[in-house]
Amino acid sequence: MRMGIAMDDSLLEVKGVSKTFGGVVRALDDISLAARRNEIVGVVGENGAGKSTLMKILVGVYPPDKGELYHKGEKVPFPKDPKEAAKRGISIVYQEKGVIPWLKVYQFLFLGHEDKYVKFSILQTDKMKKHAAAILEELHVKCDAEAFMYELPLSTQKMVEIARAILSVRLESGEDGTTPIIILDEPTGPLNDEERRELFSDLLKMKKNASFFFISHIIPEVREFTDRVHVLRDGKLVANYDFSEEKIAEEDLFRAIVGRESSEYISKQEVKGVDRGAVGLTAKNMTKKGHYYDISFDLHKGECVGIFGPAGSGKSQIIRTIAGIMSFERGELIVKGHKLKASAPPHVRLRSGIGYFSGETGKELFFNWPIVKNISIVNMQKILGKFMPVINFNAERKMAQRIVHRLRIRTPSVNTDCYSLSGGNKQKVSVGKWVERKPDILLLDDPTIGIDVGAREDIYEVLSEMKKSGISMILVSDDPKEYSILCDRIMFVMDGRIQNVLGPDEFRKVVGI
Amino acid sequence: MKRSSGNRLIPPVIIRTLKNQPVIIALIAVFVMFSILYPDRFLSLLNFKTILRQFVTLTLFAMGPSIVVVTGSLDLSYVGIWMLGGVLVWLCMPVLGLFSILVILLLGVATGFLIGVIQAKAKIPSFILTLSLLVTYWGLTAKLAGGYPRIVRGFEFITAPLIPYIPTAFLWSIPIIFAAVFIMKYTRIGTYLYAIGSNEEGARLAGINVDKYKILAFTLSGLFTGIGSMILFQHLGGSTPVELKLNTLVWPLVAIVLGGTPLMGGSGGPQRTILGALTFTVFYRGVYLSPLHPYSIQLLVGLLLIVSITVSARGLKGVTIT
Repeated sequence: MRMGIAMDDSLLEVKGVSKTFGGVVRALDDISLAARRNEIVGVVGENGAGKSTLMKILVGVYPPDKGELYHKGEKVPFPKDPKEAAKRGISIVYQEKGVIPWLKVYQFLFLGHEDKYVKFSILQTDKMKKHAAAILEELHVKCDAEAFMYELPLSTQKMVEIARAILSVRLESGEDGTTPIIILDEPTGPLNDEERRELFSDLLKMKKNASFFFISHIIPEVREFTDRVHVLRDGKLVANYDFSEEKIAEEDLFRAIVGRESSEYISKQEVKGVDRGAVGLTAKNMTKKGHYYDISFDLHKGECVGIFGPAGSGKSQIIRTIAGIMSFERGELIVKGHKLKASAPPHVRLRSGIGYFSGETGKELFFNWPIVKNISIVNMQKILGKFMPVINFNAERKMAQRIVHRLRIRTPSVNTDCYSLSGGNKQKVSVGKWVERKPDILLLDDPTIGIDVGAREDIYEVLSEMKKSGISMILVSDDPKEYSILCDRIMFVMDGRIQNVLGPDEFRKVVGI
Repeated sequence: MKRSSGNRLIPPVIIRTLKNQPVIIALIAVFVMFSILYPDRFLSLLNFKTILRQFVTLTLFAMGPSIVVVTGSLDLSYVGIWMLGGVLVWLCMPVLGLFSILVILLLGVATGFLIGVIQAKAKIPSFILTLSLLVTYWGLTAKLAGGYPRIVRGFEFITAPLIPYIPTAFLWSIPIIFAAVFIMKYTRIGTYLYAIGSNEEGARLAGINVDKYKILAFTLSGLFTGIGSMILFQHLGGSTPVELKLNTLVWPLVAIVLGGTPLMGGSGGPQRTILGALTFTVFYRGVYLSPLHPYSIQLLVGLLLIVSITVSARGLKGVTIT
């Protein structure tokens, strides 16, 4: 399967790169891969497989222990810092936090390169605007150079970021026509389906001007939009596929990534045909103008209801309202026979048994805390002494160990600080605290956003178990498959109104999975 | 293998302690340095007594605010509570007699609660809010006292010597320190306060009543400052000044930050503040004994604050909650 790349058409090639951290963790083991001119190369793998480390070596964040780098067939040293990498034509667009929202597009494009536009210590904004417009035009980014970044849709923001990366290569390497190599670190993470498609159609046009390393978890998009794909697992290159030769099945790619059979999407046999328990939560004509209207449904014990719809349909607002992050204007929310106040904040909701779990770990986790504290934070009641409200550290540790074991969290110990965990493991810690708390109703707001398939399965498994034990759930997600795995009923929401309620089988038919 | 055998020379307990409390290294370094430089004057009983006296002053002032700093806010009202409290004691003395000392405690709790409520409901930065309150209290103090310090007699029993060379105020401070550390380390309140400082949004989503616990943090701060000020009132001469001295305000902050509590909150706390206070006092006594001009000492203190703020902010990752 390993392909030989003819020297002449390879733009950038790495050979035999190895990297070890702290003399123990082998992050990369003899990796060789290459990018040709004008192609999108997918780099996929689970969290901790070494994708990010490899890319950071390419842009000069880490030096490799071993290995060689070839640029246009010529051996060059590895860059020492991002600036030097840009001189070689390599630049990276990070997953998050790359955008400065209150800058205008042209300001953002030239950020850090203003010195090229200074005349008598005055910034020539007119010239910058004109150049920016020309560059955006050339790269097929459709936006106004004078708009503020925050005004743009997320996918366009990402495109501007990519344009900026290309621009920085051009400015650093001189206009000698080096084809830029842009590394995209999970660019579609924060995007919804529509924005994703938008981004890819733009990217395909941009291929004329650059080559891309595309890092992603999302198998369908890798299959659809990349020319070739390298699969990393535990720091080793385990598979290469060239899609121009063969289009492999999603299943095969999945297997290569996780190295085990896809239980795909566990569901199917489970879930269906449950006896409906007592009603746990009732929404009656819940309305918040501009977001959603007349939302009514019952949630039974041990049932999972999905709220499905395109971005902007109001699904996120509905679940956030139930969580107490937003308030509603009209209607009723009844939990276990008690009406809840429209503006009751999350701690009041939790008292009536509603827990909220969001997949955005940055929001939920306490990064500078060890795992054990992150889990005990919602479970204080369980670990306080009987006679004195004093924390029983032993019980706290045991509780965390139970969760680490049950969710297969990969960590040296429960005292490891959360910032050092990989994305999937962070998410597991985040969900783990609710596993232990066992709320009556658990709200899942995109529970597996941005994590790899292996971690995803572990989370689905534990959520299914919780459901079986009688915990009700409400799910909102961008991934239709998630609904078919977890939900007993799916409410289809559009323009803030419930259009239809589907069973899982109907749902699968409707969305085509 | 080589590494682990090397580490075995030092017990893991010590390594862990040093990792969690890196200021201990600074403390030892400063102590050793001045012991070598001025063996006679620095290593004298008199100097140790002075160090203890100053340590108590710093600790009692810094204990309350260090609880607030953990939540990511700042409470500068402690000097105000101590100053205004002292004058109120003088005013109430004819009526309440010896009970008038409790006025300081009441003032502390009330102030803390008030700051907490305003801060939580109006969402004003606590730094500005408590600074304004401090100035208000300062003005009120000068007005009520009529412009010069009022000495109150009758509270000498608070600092009556019990053990030679150990200031009684130091003995008083021990249970106070223990109480503060206990609350922060072993109770739900402490955990929630750390949570708010570490990730306020996350704390809210985890079902913590953030406003309530913020108010509680300020009230606790007021309470500890109140208790501390009752002792400090006598410890610092049975009266309070009507002029605000910047040192009184800044030194406790240095103690907090030097101890390793980042001003963004989320880690550190009282147990680090005592180490910070001790380190600062030893450092201060050292330079005080040196031939340096007082202005240079002031300069050094300022630099120390800058350095420790930078280090504690940068060390967010390496620092664990203890």
